[in-house]
Amino acid sequence: MLQAFAFYLFAALVIASATFTILARNPVHSVLWLILAFFNAAGLMIIIGAEFIAMLLVIVYVGAVAVLFLFVVMMLDIDFAELRASFMKNFPLGIAIAAVLLAELVLGIGAWQSGGLELGTASGEAAPLLGRSNIESIGALLYGRYLFLFESAGLILLVAMVGAIVLTHREGRAVRGHQDIAKQIARRPGDATVNTRPESGKGVTL
Amino acid sequence: MVDLSQYLPILIFLVIAVGLSAAFVFLPMGVARLTGAHKPNAEKLSEYECGFPAFEDPRSQFDVRFYLIAILFIVFDLEAAFLFPWAVSLDLTGWPGWITMMVFLFELAIGLAYAWKKGALEWD
Amino acid sequence: MIPVFEGWGMSYEAAWTVSTIAGILLIALPLMLAVAMVIYVDRKIWAAMALRRGPNVVGPFGLLQSFADGLKVFLQETIVPSAANKGLFLIAPIITFTVALAAWAVVPFNSGAVLADINVGLLYILAVSSLGVYGVVMSGWASNSKYPFFSAMRAAAQMISYEVSIGFILICVVLWAGSFNMNEIVLAQRGHGLGIVNGFVFNLLLFPMWVMFLISSLAETARAPFDLTEAESELVAGYQTEYSSMSFALFWLGEYANVLLMCTLNAVLFFGGWLPPLEIGFLYWIPGFVWLLLKIAFFFFVFSWIKATVPRFRYDQLMRLGWKVFLPLSLAFVVLVSGWLMFTRYGA
Repeated sequence: MLQAFAFYLFAALVIASATFTILARNPVHSVLWLILAFFNAAGLMIIIGAEFIAMLLVIVYVGAVAVLFLFVVMMLDIDFAELRASFMKNFPLGIAIAAVLLAELVLGIGAWQSGGLELGTASGEAAPLLGRSNIESIGALLYGRYLFLFESAGLILLVAMVGAIVLTHREGRAVRGHQDIAKQIARRPGDATVNTRPESGKGVTL
Repeated sequence: MVDLSQYLPILIFLVIAVGLSAAFVFLPMGVARLTGAHKPNAEKLSEYECGFPAFEDPRSQFDVRFYLIAILFIVFDLEAAFLFPWAVSLDLTGWPGWITMMVFLFELAIGLAYAWKKGALEWD
Repeated sequence: MIPVFEGWGMSYEAAWTVSTIAGILLIALPLMLAVAMVIYVDRKIWAAMALRRGPNVVGPFGLLQSFADGLKVFLQETIVPSAANKGLFLIAPIITFTVALAAWAVVPFNSGAVLADINVGLLYILAVSSLGVYGVVMSGWASNSKYPFFSAMRAAAQMISYEVSIGFILICVVLWAGSFNMNEIVLAQRGHGLGIVNGFVFNLLLFPMWVMFLISSLAETARAPFDLTEAESELVAGYQTEYSSMSFALFWLGEYANVLLMCTLNAVLFFGGWLPPLEIGFLYWIPGFVWLLLKIAFFFFVFSWIKATVPRFRYDQLMRLGWKVFLPLSLAFVVLVSGWLMFTRYGA
């Protein structure tokens, strides 16, 4: 009973906050509604028993991806009038994408209803159930059976990182005040000051 | 394997914590209206700018390095996310699992070295 | 606690509900009291190190100072700037304080004395503390004022930078403990140092991790020397500039609750949590939460001590330390620790 209640609570909140994400006029509000949606989705994950995925959803999506969204949205000077103008311009495209998504949904549900589709592991058999917590089971599968997929995920991350650096890096920016800590620490009073006893009238050579 | 009853206290805790903090924020607003401390005026409600009127929009554009930091953070956060299940399943995966992760870490170490070399981690 | 309430003639569900809510209040209310006292202690330590007296007027030894301050801010007017986004402006302190409270749900106070004994306790703490950034960013943005906004951006970049290395440090601990459950992490530290001393800190491979964790926790809670988010000479009061009354105080309470949480994490992850420091029978006569409290108090003293003695970092130094020192070092230690464990524990 309680589980059903929690499910409907989280599900309703996901849908409501997703709706507000689309309807909010201010893009920052949109991102914050999106965060609420992620958070409730994590709640749903816990209800189906995927506690590790739930925590990852919060750590990665709420804690990292949404922070980037917020950075971008907060610091962009978004012209709302222009946005609304382009909304009308892109309206047919939006409708087309929505239609494709709807068709895919219908197709997917239809295929699932007709049955006979084995979803799951690549070889078709279900993953063995380990009598361990689901984080350990995921680890055993990911680093045992799906090694190559995992490594290619690593390559994708590498590409993402290099791409981000290439896109945002500006060559030849004047570096000012660069601090060399080793040099600072290695500096001794003797390097900076000298005691001399100049003869009168001769001055000091620097 | 998941004991859902352990998560219910967290949900209740969240509800209580939100309620408590909301009370802390909204109660004083009510109290201030009752005691007469609530006396807003235009000067009081203007934003702080060292004593003179603010002359430009505070939400200005920022240095692109903040975005870069956020993107790098996502990459390394994902890397950590991959490490979590690996750290507790080493007894199941053994050497193959360990070597896989070392290759993965090496891939990302290349990325880090590249960022370093390009000066993406530089703040001046 | 459940059997006690059942003994009073309640059904199991009612007993569970009552004992859970009692447990939550047993965490939240003493925590708020502790935060009030800890603010006083912080001021006292800071004053003592500067050869001042510190608060000494309200109550004996000034002990009631925080409560007087609390009453004062409670009766003050809440100013919401006219240019601010009012809803977000008021939600930001709520988020900060909620997040600071919620993380305590998985902290083990004694053997089995934990509100939510979940498998992924450490991940839960990581997840909840990664939410902390939103209170700051929202307050800075919603204020619609210059200094709060600059401060919020700084704070966000600072917090996420150090979260990276904290994640890798935690992985080293988890590798050794073999679990994300907080209680099991504590139990894994039993007799860790030569079978006598309890705590991962006495492990040569994990000791550097603890040093980095301590420094990262200072940066994550934006305590001195990393308090650039409220560097008063540059940013007035940082993201709290436009706040007043209790919403201002909530940021304070949240900040100190987070500091206490970080002290607790230092104690739980590296110093054996509720275990006595030495693995000697009679030390177990003293209840576990007393040991935990002592350890938390010790770490809070260290935090105050650092605040009183170390000058503030510059922002480029802060970023350099996070990305160029801690990140590669903690990554290297993940390799070292896991390699060592493969050879000694899992490899054979």
